[in-house]
Formats: sequence, C-alpha cells, structure tokens
Amino acid sequence: MYLLTIALRNLLRRRGRTFLIASILALAVIFFLFMESLMSGVMDTTFSNLVDFETPHIEVATGEFFARADDDQVLPPGESFIPDETVLAEIRAVEGFSALTPVLDISADFAAGKYEFPVMVRAIDPGTFGEVFKTGDYLVGGDFIEGDEPGVVIGEQLAGVFDLEVGDSYVLHLHGQRGAPVKLQGQVAGIVSVPNPDMNLRVVLMAREPAASAIRLDEASANRIMVRLENRDQAVSQAEVLGRKMEGSGLEARSYREAAEFLVSLEAWGYLETYFILALFLLVGAIGIISVMVLAAIERVKEIGMMKAMGLTEGEIVRVFVLEAAGVGAIGGAIGCLLGAVVVFFMETYGISMEAFLDLGALGVPIADRIYGAWNAFSFVVIFVFVVVVAVAASLVPAYWAARKDPVDAIQHR
Amino acid sequence: MALLEMERVEKIYGQGEVQVLALRGVDLEIEEGEFATVFGPSGSGKTTLLNLIGALDKPTGGTVKLNGCEIGQMSKNELAGLRRKDIGFIFQSYNLIPVLSAYENVEFALTIARKDRSREKKTQKVKDILRRVGLGDMMHRRPNQLSGGQKQRVAVARALVKEPRLILADEPTANLDSETSREVLEIMLRMNRELNTTFIFSTHDPMVMEYARRLLEIRDGMISRDERRS
Repeated sequence: MYLLTIALRNLLRRRGRTFLIASILALAVIFFLFMESLMSGVMDTTFSNLVDFETPHIEVATGEFFARADDDQVLPPGESFIPDETVLAEIRAVEGFSALTPVLDISADFAAGKYEFPVMVRAIDPGTFGEVFKTGDYLVGGDFIEGDEPGVVIGEQLAGVFDLEVGDSYVLHLHGQRGAPVKLQGQVAGIVSVPNPDMNLRVVLMAREPAASAIRLDEASANRIMVRLENRDQAVSQAEVLGRKMEGSGLEARSYREAAEFLVSLEAWGYLETYFILALFLLVGAIGIISVMVLAAIERVKEIGMMKAMGLTEGEIVRVFVLEAAGVGAIGGAIGCLLGAVVVFFMETYGISMEAFLDLGALGVPIADRIYGAWNAFSFVVIFVFVVVVAVAASLVPAYWAARKDPVDAIQHR
Repeated sequence: MALLEMERVEKIYGQGEVQVLALRGVDLEIEEGEFATVFGPSGSGKTTLLNLIGALDKPTGGTVKLNGCEIGQMSKNELAGLRRKDIGFIFQSYNLIPVLSAYENVEFALTIARKDRSREKKTQKVKDILRRVGLGDMMHRRPNQLSGGQKQRVAVARALVKEPRLILADEPTANLDSETSREVLEIMLRMNRELNTTFIFSTHDPMVMEYARRLLEIRDGMISRDERRS
C-alpha cells in the first residue's frame, strides 16, 4: 500500500512532465477510438448495405456461377437451376433462418435513346424478395415490382444517366442462352434510391416470369437462392454448415463475407492501418515514459539508496516505478477514453460526410450517405488496458536500472 | 555474544591497477547498547566501516558478523531483510521521502520492517516516537515544510520506530547548528538508555564525541584508538 502511495504521489512531483506524457497517450487513445468507431461504422454500414440490397447473409448457387460472378464475367443463364424442395428445406433448417428468395441474375445492356450501359438484371420473385432485401423500402417514384408485370425498377443513378422517369421506355439486351442477345422492352415502373451506389447504378430489377420466358427458361428458374438470417454474425458458420449439407448436390453455399472478399480485405487493411498509427503514437508515448522514468531514477537516486538502506528489495523498488508508470498510463488512458467517448458520441450522432474527401462508391464500398461511428465498449476497455500495459512495459528497464543501483553509491549520489 | 564482530576486515575499491585500500584488517567488537563514535580525518575509512556494519556493502576480506550472521555470505535479499528489521540509518542529509509527511515517513519504516501488523498499534507507535523526538504537532508536515533540525528528528524517529538493535548515524549533526545538534544528540542518548538501542556514529563533530561512551579513531583504514568512557 505504501509503495502505491509513494508511486501516486511521485506522479504529482513533476506534474508538467506527467501531464505531457499522459497527453501523448491520451492522443493515441482518442485516435484509436475515433478510427475504431469510424471503421466499425463504415464496415457496419458497408455490410448492412451489402446484405440489405445486394448479397444477403448466405447465397446458394453453383460453383461455376460463383466463379463467374466473382470474376465480373457475363452471367449467362446456363448456370440456372430449379430449386427443389429438398434444397429449400435444408436452407430453411439452417439455424437463425429468417427468409429466402430465388433470383435469376442475368448480364444485360440497358438502353434508352441512343446510349447503352452494362447492367445486371436481377429477376426476382416479388412475393419473397421483400422478406430478404430492403430495396422496396427505398422507392422514390412509381411502384415496386408486383406480380408478373414486365416493368423494371431501376436505381436513381441509372435513371439519372439516361434521364429516365417512371413510365419512360427502356430496352434491355439480355445475354441469353448460348450468348445470343435477347431484346426485352418495357417501361420503368419504379425508381429506387438505395444507399448502395452499385445497386443504384448497375442493377435492374424485374419480375422473374417475363425475364425467364424471354431467355427461354422455366419461370421457376433461378441461379441464386438468397437467404436472410436473423443475425449477421451467424452467416459465416451457417454458410459452412449449409455448404457441408449441400455437398454432392452441385450447389454451394457461401456467406456475404466470402462474396465480398474485397470489402473484407478493405476491413482488414483499415484495421491494420489503425493499429499501425496507434503503434506509432504508443511508441512515442513509450519513449516518453522511458525518459520520464530515467529522469525520475536519476533525480531520486539518493531516495532509492535510502529505501534500499531501509530494507526495500530490488523488486519493491521496481514496483514503485512500475506503479508510477502505470499511473501515467492510467491517467492518459482515462483522459483518452473520456475525450474519445465525446468523439465517438459525435461520430455516432452526426457522422461525417466523406463526399469532400473521396468517392467511396467509386472505390467499391457500398456507401452513398454519411458515415456514422459505432460504439464499442470493449474497445474502450482494451485500449485502456493496452495503454497501461505499454506504460508498464516501457518503465521496466529504467525501473530495474534504478533498483539495481548499489545502495552505497546511491546514497552518496555517485 | 557481541552484537557486531569484525575480524581482519579489508575493503578494496576499484579494479586492476587503480585500487584503493579503504580498510586494512579491522578487528572490532560492539556490544548491545553501546553509544560509540567512529572519528578520523576525511578518507580514513569511517563511511566504509559504517557501510559494512550496516550491511550495505560486503567486505573484500575478513568477516563481518552482525547478530551472528556473516554478511559476506548473505544474498542481496537476505541483506535487505537484515537492514529492514535490525538496522536503522540516520544520514547527514536526512534522506526523507519528500512525498510523504513526517508521520508517513516514520510509518513507512515501520511498515516495511513488518514488525507490527496491527494498524492501531502501528499508529500509536508512530505518534509516540514522533512526540518523543519533539514533533508531536508537526507530524503531518512534509519534509519541505520542516527545518533541518526537524528533518533530522524525523530521520531519528524513522530509524528508531522499528526498534532495531543497531542505529548507524553518518555525520548526523553536520548540517545542524550546535543547539539543534545538542537536542538531536540528547534524543538519541535518551533512546539509547530507554530502549538499549546500540548507536554507532561516524563524525568530525567534537560535540558528538563528547556524548560518546566509546571513541574509535580510524586512520588509514585501521582503528588506531579504541577508548571507552564511563
């Protein structure tokens, strides 16, 4: 207890020095919490926008189809299948299952007037699509697809490119079987504005029946079965379970994370960058702590000698220094966590607009709006403990140097 | 058995060609309850002798036995344990812990000696010793709020509170005026009589020598005079 008292009071001996080092550590903590909140927010929004509008928690298709989709190749209808009840029952048996919908994704060129633009036609089952995707909630004009009507729903951005409004005509050149283009025309039934830039620009939604019959497929054909679970966290494990069950059926199951490898890599790089900058801050803080402890050991050399003369062991003297360093770390960590909480609060409440800095959509990140931060209480605990541990680790060498001083030399300040 | 037994003790500082022979075959016995003073010119080996007696240093040759334990054979932690319980130190520059009050400085010494575990007894003992050295009303002051004499009284109280068998005082009056020196010496003499604590001083101060009941003169690393007074 006395060692703790001495250590804590030593912290106040050179208040300026203690505050300076604590401030550097606090800065590291604030930076980390800001970046962590930003990254969590970005990735949460990114994956939500992916899951809600593009690729849900789990998708089931043939391996060949996944390979083509991943390589951004033309999606021919050749890899389509008619989902049988056994497969659907296996999907429904997945833990946390919420809903499923079959889709038929076909590459196409969208034309209006004299221009053409490559798109993906997603032919949907209007009855179940809304249970898996939220696209219908973002209608800004017209109606969403109901029944087997031939009208299409397009994104606001695609509508902007062709200056289209609800009721305007379009032409679709679908990549039919054996590569032969199939012409399909109709009117724009609805326009949506979803917070996923890719879906706003490159996807055309229409009912499955007219699309399938245009390319001479059975109206029940699909090339992906989209599955929504109750919880995003279950996706990876349940995709694995489902994948094992489907072995031999010619179908494969994968989670949204496998489908979005680029985003997963981006997430990893983002965190790596955060940790790298955090490490730089902490390195500066650690060097500061080492200097403070060395200075303290030099200043207090007679005191150390006296303590040794009184019978304190080297271990006990090390403890005084380590407790002092832990105190600096705790002060820095606490200030950092407090100010970091304010930063995260603002990030979560008001968010930041990245428009001025970069076009996330162009980078392949499915975010069109402001970026909001996310709270992660565990991060606060982790960074606080980490800063204290770094402070303690940085103090060990100077602490041992001080503790090993010969008591006679120390008392005589030699 | 004597409290301290030194036989043919040598202490050499330095290595190779640059060697200083600080003590040359010192033989000395100190009994419990003595009030002895080691004096001699600067560089004669007084502080070296005190450092060996206080288990702060080990001899290069010969044996130093304190309370029957040969310090040359003891580990660092064993030496620390010996100092913790049986030896008190008083230094010329007080060496109080500046962040602790007078009371806390004294309590700290008692706490690390681990002799008295009861909180109440410990508090009583600390207050009592501070009153006995005349600091009853200043016990909550920090060292920077005390005069030189008051600091030395705290140092005396700190050395005495754990009731060690031996107190070593290195030039304890060097920074004090003569009146304060006398007060501090009176306190130490009283403690010697009341508690039978052994005191060994190292000094140049004739006043300290006046108080001593045994005078040990050291010259060129050897005890040249050993005089007992009644």
